[in-house]
Amino acid sequence: MPTWLITTFSGTVGLVLKIVLLCVVNALTIWAAAVLADHHKWRAFGVLILAALAIDAVYLLNRKWTLPLKFLLPGTVLLIAFHVVPVIYTINVAFTNYSTGHILSRSEAIDSIRQNSLTESANGASYAMTLMRDDAHRLVLALVDQDSGETYIGTREGLKPIPRGDVTIADGTIASAKGYTKLPLRELGSVDTELSDYKVPVGGGKAIQPQGFDSALQLQPTFRYDAKANTFVKIDNGAVYRDDGLGSYVAASGDEIEPGWKTYVGLRNFSRIGHSALIRDPFLKVLVWTLFFATSVVLVSFALGLLLAVALNKPGMRLQRTYRIILVIPYAVPAFLALLVWQGLLNDDFGVVNNVFHTSIPWLFDPWWARVSVIFVSVWLTVPYFFLVCLGALQSIPAELTEAARVDGGGAWQVFRKVSFPLLLVAVTPLMIASFAFNFNNFNNIYLLTGGGPAVGNSPIAGATDILISYTYKIAFASGKGQDYGLACAIAILIFVIVGTISAISFSRTKALENLA
Amino acid sequence: MSTREAGLSVPAAGERQQKKGRGLPETWWRHLIALIAAVISLFPVAYIISAAFNADNSLSGSSLIPRHLTLDNFRSLFGAQQHVTGHATFQNAHYLRWFANSMIVAGGTAILTVMVSALAAYAFSRFRFKGRRLSMLALLLVQMFPQLLAIVAIYLIVLNTGEVFHFMGLNTLFALMLVYLGGALGVNTWLMKGFFDTIPAELDESARVDGASPSQVFWGVVLPLAAPVLSVIMLISFIATLNEFVIASAILETQQKFTLPVGLWQYIDQKYSEHWGPFAAGVLLAAIPAALLFGFLQRWIVQGLTAGAVKG
Repeated sequence: MPTWLITTFSGTVGLVLKIVLLCVVNALTIWAAAVLADHHKWRAFGVLILAALAIDAVYLLNRKWTLPLKFLLPGTVLLIAFHVVPVIYTINVAFTNYSTGHILSRSEAIDSIRQNSLTESANGASYAMTLMRDDAHRLVLALVDQDSGETYIGTREGLKPIPRGDVTIADGTIASAKGYTKLPLRELGSVDTELSDYKVPVGGGKAIQPQGFDSALQLQPTFRYDAKANTFVKIDNGAVYRDDGLGSYVAASGDEIEPGWKTYVGLRNFSRIGHSALIRDPFLKVLVWTLFFATSVVLVSFALGLLLAVALNKPGMRLQRTYRIILVIPYAVPAFLALLVWQGLLNDDFGVVNNVFHTSIPWLFDPWWARVSVIFVSVWLTVPYFFLVCLGALQSIPAELTEAARVDGGGAWQVFRKVSFPLLLVAVTPLMIASFAFNFNNFNNIYLLTGGGPAVGNSPIAGATDILISYTYKIAFASGKGQDYGLACAIAILIFVIVGTISAISFSRTKALENLA
Repeated sequence: MSTREAGLSVPAAGERQQKKGRGLPETWWRHLIALIAAVISLFPVAYIISAAFNADNSLSGSSLIPRHLTLDNFRSLFGAQQHVTGHATFQNAHYLRWFANSMIVAGGTAILTVMVSALAAYAFSRFRFKGRRLSMLALLLVQMFPQLLAIVAIYLIVLNTGEVFHFMGLNTLFALMLVYLGGALGVNTWLMKGFFDTIPAELDESARVDGASPSQVFWGVVLPLAAPVLSVIMLISFIATLNEFVIASAILETQQKFTLPVGLWQYIDQKYSEHWGPFAAGVLLAAIPAALLFGFLQRWIVQGLTAGAVKG
């Protein structure tokens, strides 16, 4: 027993360590709480304070109930924050329309529509502009009305006149102003983005907006928001845009104002998977392929792994150790490297496989060959696992059992079939189920080889080798038509239901298998 | 099981024939199967090793036995020879970064995962407390929902967190590591709890009689005894993290922050055939840490595998 560990973590050293760690945690909490309060994130603020108090209580109180918690707390916090919360959030998002164009909250969307709808008007004032900073280093616009010659300071809050006595004018623009400093030329580039959404509100929905670096225009809105009726009215033709309940303002003509907002849409994402042909057909194809892919990879790998295990399970066989080491190599190499290498080897133009066999098969670019390649490479990666597992299981079968069967007159094949194989199956079946569940979501094997492609038919997203998880990923992150988080989360929930059901059924069968043996 | 007939008729038939065979060793069919499998296993590995030392950079020109041996490919990875190919600078600047990022994230995740889940597993194995069964059931349920499926939610959470706390927002290794930590705990806690259960409780009790506190028992008695299992779980979680592509590619955005899978993937995606040589060298180097660990721990891995660990 390494006594140094015990002495280290007992007595004064342990106590000091504990106090130091708790101090660090509390200091970080106070800092983080201050930041959260600064951002007005009150819910997160509350959760944080409660969590910190709970941690202090558990580690400072020496009660019976705090003892297990002292060990469980670090894991629980991480598990909740990065596994449980994402799962709950996934379920939550699946019932919303969260997607490109529906990111903002409703009030943010209304503000955004009002801002976006500003356009130049025929009689709007125009200004000569100078960029300046005020005492607090905030960017302000020093403006000269080009018709009246009045001078103003414009900020994000509004427009206020500045007396002519406080400014000097050169070439029609303000050269200097009392209380403000002119922005140096070299800083122009850095205020570019800030300037692009800089608006000076002047009442009535109108606003002054910079045009380039030296002039500004007064713009007026094309839409008017009616807060009571919750509608937008287009000012020039009076068309009314109503809240359609799905996070957009839509006119009777079907015209929609961008952007919409994020809102709950009930089961709409799920019904889209069921009813919209554009989503249902690719989804079903992908589902069938996913099942086929996972099943065939597991069964073929198991069969080959078992064959190899049987072949090498011979005491006293020469080179046995060498074979074993070589056969396990694909397993010792990180899978992502092997996948990337296979992608190169299978390249149809200059790939080594085509070179060696003098063929020109489009291994990764023809839908059917791509499916073959994906299964082949996955089997290549998985066989060593089943080889190791089967070899272990075969070697753990008591020799007396097989010998007794031989004495009773069974041939080698019969003994294997009737004695060894059923015993092996008991040990390996749960691992096959686990491997199935793993391959069902084996994103890497698909994405790193073919990227889910090649494209087939009319689906813009689902390719020939896409499995559900890669399809979901593309909908969420890589779709050309924008990103649909709501739909992606709905599909993720379906995947969970499918995998969960299959695992549950199979595991209950496994128990039956154990009882039989 | 349909594999019963399909998979095994071949060796059985062979075995019967070999009894009559003369001259050949009776294990000839075993050697035949093993040889074929060995060739298929080694084929890509041999090719990568050869390409890494081959002076000819392109994929089309590569042959299994290099005509001119060279270390240029490795030099170009480390940025010593910028002129190897026209695009080499692109890779030179970042390969080492990706490598370091991967080691930091995978190493950190592996060590912390083992620490944190060992703590939890110890509590589940040794203490009897209210809600123990319920929380273990909850743990099992949670780990049935793979973290991967929550990828969209994880992305959105990290995005929103980053707006307040930049150090754990998008494009930070810290956020990535936290996400990995959360995802690996469920499985590993279960695995370790199973192992802790096999360590006789009498050992704890005798230590307790001698006056050790529960935490002293944990650090001094249980952990040292569990060292082999802990190192296997550490290895498996290291390799699983090293392999992880989806979450890393969603969270990391710039070259400087990429891990090896994301970096190498987009690297060959852009310039495959011309960069075959440096790419092969990069693959070879990247495979070394995991392969070494695997070699050291091979003895315990089979045990771990049969206990239900699935490696990617």
